[in-house]
Amino acid sequence: MADEFIKGLGILTGAGLAWMVLASWYRTSSFESTEQLIEPLQSGATEGIFNLIGITLMDAFLWFALLGTLTFWVLIPAGRQVMDALEERKNAQ
Amino acid sequence: MSDNESQPKEVRTDGGGIVAPDNETPTWSERKARKTGLSRLTYEYFERSRREDQDLRTESDYVERDVLAFPTWPHETVRNLSIASFFVGMILFLAATMPPHIGAPANPSQTPAIILPDWYLYWSFGLLKLNPLNPELAILGGQKIMADRTYGVLANGVVVGFIAIVPFLNKGSARRPVEEPLWAAIGISGVVFAMTISLLAVKNLMPMNVDLLFDLTFLLPIVFGTITYAVLKTMREGYMFDLNRRYYRLRPPK
Repeated sequence: MADEFIKGLGILTGAGLAWMVLASWYRTSSFESTEQLIEPLQSGATEGIFNLIGITLMDAFLWFALLGTLTFWVLIPAGRQVMDALEERKNAQ
Repeated sequence: MSDNESQPKEVRTDGGGIVAPDNETPTWSERKARKTGLSRLTYEYFERSRREDQDLRTESDYVERDVLAFPTWPHETVRNLSIASFFVGMILFLAATMPPHIGAPANPSQTPAIILPDWYLYWSFGLLKLNPLNPELAILGGQKIMADRTYGVLANGVVVGFIAIVPFLNKGSARRPVEEPLWAAIGISGVVFAMTISLLAVKNLMPMNVDLLFDLTFLLPIVFGTITYAVLKTMREGYMFDLNRRYYRLRPPK
């Protein structure tokens, strides 16, 4: 139980930090903007191989943070519960 | 090294030399595989701590004497160094990787559109934005008894007054939150309220509905306080309340 929690938290904070850094370059026109980190990409942001890598990593980190946390906090514990319930039902019969 | 056998076994305080004291104490992997509740886990944790402490005491050639702290070196220092290293590293990381954002130089002849105090005063600034809570009195024909700004300044007095009263209501003798779930919950509510009222202060910058933000400012502290109270109340079942007397004692040499 505690292991899954810290895995999810580590993914959320680690990948979230990496996403925040990249999004602050590519999706932030101003730190006083109300849409910083979620703005549409600037024109010219997809020029050059390094910018492409950065944008790809930004999206990858965001989805990793969301899906990784969801997996370890919700899906895996829920799957264990389901397996236990199935096993109990099997034993009861 | 034949006289080694006559020497008493060296007592290790790093936790490495400690074995499960009896058959009933589960190993870490056994404990992880268990499906019992939080209270059972808490009980086993503290029982193990107590047992390890007792074993050390029994094996030790030190005299027991009440010392109500851990030594600064190395215990506190090593811990504080690791925490300080983390935050220094985080500052260096962010300074190195985030884009520099240096705006145009300030124009002293023009007031900016958004004026904010330093971030640690946001909570007080947020209290100035409680206009919807300022009651309109029927006896005054729907007029407010005081201006909204006066109301906001008085709200600061309420917050500071409550913080000033707390030490008289609770002496703070609890070593861990689980010993005083209610006060821990009140403390968590206060921390969360400090955050939410700070977010209300920057409502111009918050990408959400302002009315929803205002409601959440007061609802979230209650929600988090309730959760804290429930969790700590559950943990009480397995908690050993006489642990502190044993735990905060060191053994200086004879």
